[in-house]
Amino acid sequence: MPGLTDNLYLLTPEFALAGLAFLVFIIDLLLPEERKDLLGWLSVAGLLGVVALSLVMLPGKEATLYGGLLAVDGYSLFFKVFFLGLGVFIILSSIDYVKLHLNHPGEFYGLLLFSILGMNLMAQSRELLTAYISLELLSFSLYVMVAYALNNAKSNEGSLKYIIIGAFSSAILLYGISMVYSALGVTRFEGISAALSSITDLRPALWVGLALIMVGLGFKLAAVPFHMWAPDAYEGAPLPVTAYLAIASKAAAFALVLRLLSEAFVPAADRWDQWQIIVATLAALSMLVGNLVALAQRNLKRLMAYSSIGHVGYILAGAVALSTDSLLGANGIIFYLVGYSITSIVVFAALIAFFNATGQEEIPDLAGLADRQPFLAMAIAVSFFSLGGLPIFVGFTMKFYLFTAVANAGYLWLAGLAIFTSLVSLYYYLQVIRQMYIQPALAAPATDAADGPGEHPPAEPESEHTHTPSHHEPSGDYEPLPRPSALLLVVMVLGLVAVVGLGVYPAPLLELVEGASAAILPGG
Amino acid sequence: MVPLVYFQLLSAALFIIGLYGVMARRSAVLIIMSIELMLNAVNINLIAAASHREGWGSFVNFDGQIIAIFIITVAAAEVGLAMAIILRMYRNRATVNVDEIDLMKW
Amino acid sequence: MLEDYFRQYGLIAILALVAVAVPTSMLAFSWLASRVGIRPANPTPVKLETYECGVETIGGAWNRFNFRYYLYAILFVIFDVEVVFLYPWATKFIRLELFALIEMGVFVAILLVGWAYAWRKRDLEWGS
Repeated sequence: MPGLTDNLYLLTPEFALAGLAFLVFIIDLLLPEERKDLLGWLSVAGLLGVVALSLVMLPGKEATLYGGLLAVDGYSLFFKVFFLGLGVFIILSSIDYVKLHLNHPGEFYGLLLFSILGMNLMAQSRELLTAYISLELLSFSLYVMVAYALNNAKSNEGSLKYIIIGAFSSAILLYGISMVYSALGVTRFEGISAALSSITDLRPALWVGLALIMVGLGFKLAAVPFHMWAPDAYEGAPLPVTAYLAIASKAAAFALVLRLLSEAFVPAADRWDQWQIIVATLAALSMLVGNLVALAQRNLKRLMAYSSIGHVGYILAGAVALSTDSLLGANGIIFYLVGYSITSIVVFAALIAFFNATGQEEIPDLAGLADRQPFLAMAIAVSFFSLGGLPIFVGFTMKFYLFTAVANAGYLWLAGLAIFTSLVSLYYYLQVIRQMYIQPALAAPATDAADGPGEHPPAEPESEHTHTPSHHEPSGDYEPLPRPSALLLVVMVLGLVAVVGLGVYPAPLLELVEGASAAILPGG
Repeated sequence: MVPLVYFQLLSAALFIIGLYGVMARRSAVLIIMSIELMLNAVNINLIAAASHREGWGSFVNFDGQIIAIFIITVAAAEVGLAMAIILRMYRNRATVNVDEIDLMKW
Repeated sequence: MLEDYFRQYGLIAILALVAVAVPTSMLAFSWLASRVGIRPANPTPVKLETYECGVETIGGAWNRFNFRYYLYAILFVIFDVEVVFLYPWATKFIRLELFALIEMGVFVAILLVGWAYAWRKRDLEWGS
């Protein structure tokens, strides 16, 4: 069949990525157990190869494949490179962790590669079913990865909650798709926008269908009130997987939502006014609930989960500002995603280094970290300042752009709420920083000092996540932590450079971002 | 031919029954089965719409049926994964009752 | 048109009536026959068993199945679902070009990787 296969070569990066994932699975079957960390390096090398391939092949290409199901354009290229890069950094920061705490490294990297493939396709799909299948490719890999600490009850529990809510939300999303299909006969984004702008009396079925699609995607984004799975899945998952959930899967879900909104909803300007109110409500709720509940958290992963729900609120507020005649909203969202991801990578790399050295992940455990391992404390402090939105870090720049766009779109109350909740979020970020810099280090109890939790990392194959309750008396002397491994140091240093660099001089990135958003909002 | 509305009512009823099951059941396995029911409701809706083609746009004959095939596949994979995780849960905690799966709250 | 539609249900209703009437009348006739003394009543333990012939039943029907069946069920589902895609492809095979054949080859190869994985991980062996 001509037409369908003409420009199939434009998908070469995806084919290469899928091939890489299968290669990892097959090599995993052949390698002896002690050499499995080769697979991590193979994945990194392969991902870099795919990045190079996309950068050589795809710039300037504008095409749709399979009769309009997938789009190859500036937007998808931007996100493709972004996701592949995120994948590289996540793998780099998890190699040590996987070696120390997890069994089955081969499948870990293989699933990670498959989920990156799913994310790439999410940014490219222009049709509801294609979007759904890509989303499931991502979600299925994540379900398994959350449950990766096989004998850890928390990991099981997080994964079970995640898969039940995930499957439930998929069913809702699909029911929405089926109602839209039975009302319109189309599932392509541009078909939906044509219908929304040309039909004068919309049938209630169509409204319900679109609303159900929104609800389903709301679950995937973890926007309040569809967020209840997120904290448990984040807390239960092994740390690198938590990082991956918080950073990459969120960015991918937003890549999909952003394309859906701007290609299907925004062009029908009259109807979009009505949807804006719904999105704004979700955004306001997410900001408030995420940031307020985060105040009460003790576990670092859980804190990051609620803080990420808050950030989802900010990004959704940016989605309110989407319009056909201005790129500000889309620019703000994409820039925010990049900045948030880079900052979070630094946070999680530092937390992984801390966990590798101590096996702890509660906020009080961080006490005196500034004395025990100053670089780690500095990395966490800088990235938390950035997440809180303080100037010279990328967090300030991204919030500034996004909130300006929201205010320009006429939603002053939403921008005000966003600024207010950012201030609230500073409070709990500062709590952690106070813990590291002001709180004295806890003296290591005699028994622990004997086997030296700080001397060598716990080497049990399954991560047990046992938290020794830290009720020891604070005292003057502390135990220094070993230096984080070279890999994690590289990730953190690169990330910190980016956090400060993009905060001071965001222009080059903004140019790229504008190219990406112009591809989905041609009117702007 | 049977009017489309009948199929839509059947599908909606199935979906609601599934929804009720997800809310009311305590065993994780039964919750997964209820979710399957919801997915089947979706399939009925899609296939009926594809064969009736009443609506606004240009229905391509097989779109709905193709979507249904994909949903069947994805649902099978989903059940496989969910059962694996539930079995893991059972080995560690000796329960699949979602009321008792409460290590983490808030 | 709607009346035609319900008329079809009428046929089903008649069939259902006949289907219910035949066994009911048999039971009723048997009961009547025992009332007037034509049918002897002579129960023995063998006669009262669930199945009068065949293998004797062991245990109840509510026993648990071995956990190992789970893996086979999963593998079965993989190949079961494969057919969902193979079937529409096969019905239109004549009109599709070589490209479709290659694509299906790739699809089956992907499934085979999964199967090889299970094999290599010794999930197909019952023992141990």
